[in-house]
Amino acid sequence: MRKYLLKRVLYMLLTLFLVATITFFLMKLMPGTPYTNQAKMTASQIEIMNKQYGLDKPIWEQYLIYIFGMFHGDFGTSFQYSNQPVAYLISSRLGASMQLGLQAMIFGVFFGVILGAAAAIKHNTWADTGATVIAIIGKSVPNFVLAILLQYYIALKLGWFPIAGWGQFSNTILPTIALGVGPLAETARFIRTSMVEVLNSDYIELAKAKGLSKFEVVYHHALRNSLIPLVTLLGPYTVALMTGSMVIENVFNIPGIGEQFVKSIMTNDYPTIMGVTMVFSIGLVVVILITDIIYGLIDPRIRLEGNGGNK
Amino acid sequence: MKFKKLLAVGATLAVSAFTLAACGSKSSDSGKTLHWEDNAEISTLDPSKVTDVVGFNQLNNVTEGLYRLGKDSKITPGLATKTTVSKDGLTYTFTLRKDAKWSNGDKVTAKDFVYSWQRTVNPKTGSQYAYLFSGIKNADAIMEGKKSVSELGVKADGDYKLVVTLDKKIPYFKLLMGFPLFFPQNQKVVEKYGSKYGTASKYFVYDGPFKQEGWTGSNLSWKLVKNDDYWDKKAVKLDKITYQVVKDSNTGYNLFQSGKLDGALLSAEQTKQLKGQKNYTVFHESTTFYLQYNQTKEEFKNANIRKAISLAINRKDYLKVLGGENTAATSVTPVGLTKVNGKDFQSIVSDKTDMTYNKAKAKELFNKGLQELGKDKLEFAILTDDTDAAKKSVEALQSQLKEAFGDKVTVNTQTVPFKTRLSRSTSGDFDVVLSAWGADFADPISFLDLFTSNNEQNDGKWSNAEYDKLIAASKNASSASDRWSDLEKAEKILLQDQGVTPLYYRNQAWMVNDKVKGIIYNTAGANLNFKDTYIAK
Repeated sequence: MRKYLLKRVLYMLLTLFLVATITFFLMKLMPGTPYTNQAKMTASQIEIMNKQYGLDKPIWEQYLIYIFGMFHGDFGTSFQYSNQPVAYLISSRLGASMQLGLQAMIFGVFFGVILGAAAAIKHNTWADTGATVIAIIGKSVPNFVLAILLQYYIALKLGWFPIAGWGQFSNTILPTIALGVGPLAETARFIRTSMVEVLNSDYIELAKAKGLSKFEVVYHHALRNSLIPLVTLLGPYTVALMTGSMVIENVFNIPGIGEQFVKSIMTNDYPTIMGVTMVFSIGLVVVILITDIIYGLIDPRIRLEGNGGNK
Repeated sequence: MKFKKLLAVGATLAVSAFTLAACGSKSSDSGKTLHWEDNAEISTLDPSKVTDVVGFNQLNNVTEGLYRLGKDSKITPGLATKTTVSKDGLTYTFTLRKDAKWSNGDKVTAKDFVYSWQRTVNPKTGSQYAYLFSGIKNADAIMEGKKSVSELGVKADGDYKLVVTLDKKIPYFKLLMGFPLFFPQNQKVVEKYGSKYGTASKYFVYDGPFKQEGWTGSNLSWKLVKNDDYWDKKAVKLDKITYQVVKDSNTGYNLFQSGKLDGALLSAEQTKQLKGQKNYTVFHESTTFYLQYNQTKEEFKNANIRKAISLAINRKDYLKVLGGENTAATSVTPVGLTKVNGKDFQSIVSDKTDMTYNKAKAKELFNKGLQELGKDKLEFAILTDDTDAAKKSVEALQSQLKEAFGDKVTVNTQTVPFKTRLSRSTSGDFDVVLSAWGADFADPISFLDLFTSNNEQNDGKWSNAEYDKLIAASKNASSASDRWSDLEKAEKILLQDQGVTPLYYRNQAWMVNDKVKGIIYNTAGANLNFKDTYIAK
């Protein structure tokens, strides 16, 4: 296990290094300058600024400087937020996105599993059709549409929750629902499919024959086995949710990282682009590793040891 | 059992969420609080580094310079109590009031101005707006690193006298003094916070009508509270201004409807629905959108072709496609920028003959132009941004030109990201580009300077000797009326020749609570001044 982990961590570092390198050079291919007032600056003023920020140096030299800084934990300072260290920008913005993503994930998986399991147990009845319809709607209605509807009807018309803002738990409810309906639908569909399959298998027949109660059959045997494939799906999904959704953040005025990332690309804010990309990548590789480990824990057929197969 | 537990936890969470939310907060208003929105985050409070409207608006309310700009960009008293200008117009002497204080208790002195200005022009500071100092003695050389900052033409004569020397006359110099870039900075505070200066409310010091609280550097809500150290605090009527960053205009309007905001910026779509309703307010911007022709290309050197294009555009229909609150342009300098003897400069220079839709005349000029060029058709591309609005805009132009000139014209579109458009404009890599310019200060010269032959930002390279002469003359005019007449003549030449083709002036549509009175909104520079704002009962 230890050997396996070590190897995986080494691969992770290599992946991150490659991501940093590729992002850096792609980013430098974008035309324009990182100066927000570029429209009004003359070429000679831009030249002075480039000298000031070291952007007149050859690209490979800028690359080396950046990588060197990164290894020392220095992500540089943002251009759009003058003087603000990128590390602070990310750390102060990531929390809201992570909280929201996690809440949406818990909300989605929790109700998704219930919905999916209910549909599978009541296979081919009205309950199944109902659950499928909910899942299809949840999957096909874009989350920003849902966000706008929730905001208008639940917050403005009924006044149950704040329209927008951040800081109190009540602020998080509507965005959690808007963001969580996607994973809810996905989970429900997934659980339903795999559980229908499992419920038809021989060992379930055996369990039933042994005289186990319906709950025990469903919970101990059927659900647990159906959850395994879900794990692969949920890992990357969680990262995607936690790294922020620009649209949901904008609708509910949430100080998250999603919009920052898009804005940094639009404005050529090089240090922020690099910083956010690296944080997202780290999140992703770590979650993939954790997913693989959890896989091994819940499914004894999968072995993590040795050199075989699973990399 | 685990599953049951999970179910229980989930259910509890859901229930508690609803109960918690039900007892949501109700804000209490004393009638002296304004709730305002901004559509982007504050990027910094550092006056040397601010580049955006959000930042300038904050500074305009929490700091103060020699003057404060009142209604119609009129100069009203700030820290200067007396100003004398030398006969040659090259030396300004400002006498400062003695009762002005920073919020940390320090007195605001002439040295704070000297320090601030030197800091901004210092190339090490990296100010993106330093170019506005051009014209103050040695500023250009200092910005290029050829002279030291101490040689800048600004000196403190004691604590309360500021002497500024210029390289050349700047007729709008007093107007600039109302722009936050020229406000004082407290050296002690700047040095104390170092690189943190201006990155959060607590890393800044205030000398304006309000003080900022609660901005952490990256959050979306903060407030301004009345500054008790402000010299003219008696005139300030509001106790508090709360700010929220609202990026989705639906959200803004919902907040406005629920009474959580007193002002909300509207989208083009909302404008259509809400126009003419109670609280609907239009703010003019000092931004003009226009077509620039690449006049290093033979076909666009031809004035008949340029005029034909202008006449073929039905600006009214074009703006309908674009939506929102915009006004068809008949000049480069927009509506509401500045007044000359009580008359809007725009109405003086407005050129309806060359910018009103006239298909027959357009065709005639186009054919004439083609003949002069010895061509029978013209193909060119319009370069623009890749935003939805820009795409709509360029498609409308494309179809209108096709409609007017038929097979004789092929218009292609090139939609690229904003920064790419800027780079390509600068390097002259375009046929026709849809450009926009907004003024930093309320004077026509901030537009007209752009189109002089040797201006670096004259991307289209239009050149007219008479125009250049008039602009140069305006800078040395012996009287204000001479200057206005030079500028007027110059702009008329630009328009008659269609050196650029103005399309529209951009405006903002807002919903503003009609109980809120006394907002001073200026089209150029820092837009909003809340010093005199109050909420009627």
